[in-house]
Amino acid sequence: MKKSLQITVNGELNQAFVEPYYSLLDTLRDEMQMTGTKKGCDEGDCGACTVLLNGKPVCSCLVLAHSAHDGEVITIEGLANGQELHPVQQAFVEYGGLQCGYCTPGLIMATVGFLEGDEEPTDENIKHALGGNLCRCTGYTKVIEAVKAAVATTGRKTE
Amino acid sequence: MADFQVLGKSHIRVDALEKVTGKATYAGDVALPGMLMCKVLTSTQSHATIVSIDASAAEALPGVRSVITGKDYPDAWFGSGALKDRRIMARDEVFYIGEPVAAVAADDEVTALEALDLIKVEYKDLEKVVDPLQAISGKSVEIHPDMEGFEGYGFALGGNNCTMLDADRGDVDQGFKDSDVIVEETYHTQPISQGFLEPMACVANVEANGRLDIYASTQGPYQVRSQLASVLDMPIGNIKVTAMEMGGGFGAKLRLALEAFPALLAMKTGRPVKLVNTREETFTLNGPRLETNIYLKTGVTNDGRILAREARSIFDVGAYLGAGPNSGVGHGLGAYNISNFKLRSYGVYTNKIYVGSYRASGVADMTFATESHTDVIAHRLGMDPLEFRIKNALSEGDTGVSGATLPKNGLMETMEALKERMGLPKKLAKGHGVGIAVGEWRSGSGPSTASICVNEDGTVSMLTGSVDISGSDTSLAQIAAETLGLRLDQVVVAKRNTDMAPFTGPSGGSRIIYSQGKAVQNAAEDAKAKLLELAADRLGVSAEALECSGGKVYVQDNPPQSMDLGQLGRMSLSSRGGPIIGTASLSSMPYAPVFNAQGVEVIVDKETGQVRVTRFVQAQDVGKAINPMGVEGQLEGGAVQGIGRALSEEILIDQETGQVRNASLATYLMPLALDMPEIETILVEVPSSDGPFGARAVAESPGFGPPAAIANAIYDAVGVRIKTLPLSAERVLAAIQGRDTDEYRVDVDELRAAEGP
Repeated sequence: MKKSLQITVNGELNQAFVEPYYSLLDTLRDEMQMTGTKKGCDEGDCGACTVLLNGKPVCSCLVLAHSAHDGEVITIEGLANGQELHPVQQAFVEYGGLQCGYCTPGLIMATVGFLEGDEEPTDENIKHALGGNLCRCTGYTKVIEAVKAAVATTGRKTE
Repeated sequence: MADFQVLGKSHIRVDALEKVTGKATYAGDVALPGMLMCKVLTSTQSHATIVSIDASAAEALPGVRSVITGKDYPDAWFGSGALKDRRIMARDEVFYIGEPVAAVAADDEVTALEALDLIKVEYKDLEKVVDPLQAISGKSVEIHPDMEGFEGYGFALGGNNCTMLDADRGDVDQGFKDSDVIVEETYHTQPISQGFLEPMACVANVEANGRLDIYASTQGPYQVRSQLASVLDMPIGNIKVTAMEMGGGFGAKLRLALEAFPALLAMKTGRPVKLVNTREETFTLNGPRLETNIYLKTGVTNDGRILAREARSIFDVGAYLGAGPNSGVGHGLGAYNISNFKLRSYGVYTNKIYVGSYRASGVADMTFATESHTDVIAHRLGMDPLEFRIKNALSEGDTGVSGATLPKNGLMETMEALKERMGLPKKLAKGHGVGIAVGEWRSGSGPSTASICVNEDGTVSMLTGSVDISGSDTSLAQIAAETLGLRLDQVVVAKRNTDMAPFTGPSGGSRIIYSQGKAVQNAAEDAKAKLLELAADRLGVSAEALECSGGKVYVQDNPPQSMDLGQLGRMSLSSRGGPIIGTASLSSMPYAPVFNAQGVEVIVDKETGQVRVTRFVQAQDVGKAINPMGVEGQLEGGAVQGIGRALSEEILIDQETGQVRNASLATYLMPLALDMPEIETILVEVPSSDGPFGARAVAESPGFGPPAAIANAIYDAVGVRIKTLPLSAERVLAAIQGRDTDEYRVDVDELRAAEGP
């Protein structure tokens, strides 16, 4: 039976009335009309649906919407400040870290989550941070260059 | 070389901002008022007659608006490839597990799924065949006994062999007689998925005037339009297809896919209908590549000249002939000049999902075989593999397998670049190996159109019917900008549909920059000529005295005497010729080959058989890199797809039923960032004579070499030759332990005999 819930998405309080089995991903896309977050598998295998939930990157397809009740979610739509891109978005643009763009929101959110965490930005850690995100177009070389460039904007050193 | 302003410099993609902000709209993001959701019921049987379908319980379920079966479609055949051998939805017979038999439109997806469970289909099983080698042997059931009646049928051996292609030259028997060494081998490649990240999706709507409005994830909107028209038996003019942003296709989205299901349901209900595949359905509802068995026999002289080649390649096409076995002949020789050959390629029906296209269908399979074989021969002769390749390489003026004369190309330059970068030949430490392979392709041709309008502010609007594929819109805009002397941001790239833009071929086969780019260049030249003509009239000079650059048309001998493009654009509105539109249309482009030489270094763990690629270098002749960052990106991505094909990817098929067993991304193993080395890419630029600014194709070739290069490196590292893909740890370990890994045998004598004397 449908129940109501509230989630702060990109700083704004959103309410929805959804079935208990509804995922956070479907709630964002179908109920809140925020389609920037992508569904690639709905099984937690591809990472295209990655969002930040209470500051941590999660596969939103694996999170029940009601379990995110009263939580804070940041999606790809919430990164830019008006026309000004988030440094991670800017790096993906400048370094060609995207092609078809379908995995891009997830890769960018995973990268933002990594940069906001406290892991050292070594090559190995960067690859691990992206280890849950599949990309079929780029072969990852330019994605990793973009992530390193984004790391550099935070003043931290990469290898 | 001309001094380019926009070309040859890396540019940010024209669609980058919308893609990093989540604003890009894919077909699955489309939502229309009153929209219903569609789900498809598929066959549970490998091969069976449909005795009855009872949908009454489904139709009675609240929220269900329509249920359709194959008999609701006109009695029409269509084809994904050369033969019209399919129905859009099964009518009387199913040919594989997963074949669509019914579809439902309901208020929401959950109701649609519930309705599927309520549809009762009664089947009567028929004899089936899953193994293509058995299917071609003549000792199994004939899946399509009436295939000679299929439109497009050409020549085949009969049984389940639905098409046989051939190419012959010289005297192959004499070539083998004159040879000092003959090497005869069979290779086997695995079923594989295109692996696009965006599942197939479509929204169909019927407009007030009865026209169908389709929002699709497609590489070929005009192909979807015409195939949809044939399966719905309606005029092409009654269908509009809007190609939305496409989340990867790699050949899988070249033709009509699932659009006909929501389309008919929209016609039945009068409401918009949406269908989005699940990830599982991307493996089971949409044609992948199936297995290939490739027999090769090559004769060489002791000093390393290839004299003769016989190749017989058996392509499992599944239930229907999708992308056919063309590469079995077209790529049976590799990048080498061989004057005596006999090439045969067979498409074989089996009770499995039909094959689709994937990044130059079959060429990666052929290249695994031919380029592994090349190394085997070189080693047999005691020659360095690269030197052996260089000695036999095609060169300008040679006759290619198709009979076309090879124009100027960069094959030698790519091999030299690889040699230099990797320091070949070299011997690595024990357990480490180095291997190379060369891939060959041609720049894609086909109908291409473009128009360019000059706007009142001096910007131009570029309209093409082609779908952006891996940044092609950006490169096309660069071509327009360079031709007209504009900045990239002065070219507006129109988002288009089939009503708005004239016909163009699909975005596939590496044809967009070479052919569509040529159309854009010609359209820009046409617009430029009209601008010069108008300016000449106003400035009182001849058009020949003028040049167009920097957003101005100016007198070459007196640059201050000029008019800017905005002025001309505004003036044109009331000029004799009217607003300025440059147009271009072409149907084919000359043969322009593409070569890609690749080298890998690997470490093989002798305890586990695990292979790790530690270095990957590729050099490709791209003719002219329009947008180097985009070109590198395509080459890197293609190479990684090839590494996945080499090491981990495989669709597992149940050998009893033909069913796909691993329809998920947890079990179909595509490369992750963790698995991949940095891809080092060298852009070689030997201009083509006809491509825009000398450009050649880019996208297909990088995926060809990795399986053979890695197999060759494994041989170099641990001395075992593996002829079956993928080169999994289990298989490598088995080979290291001396167990037989060549599980597949082609009965070549039978194939020879079937052809007659």
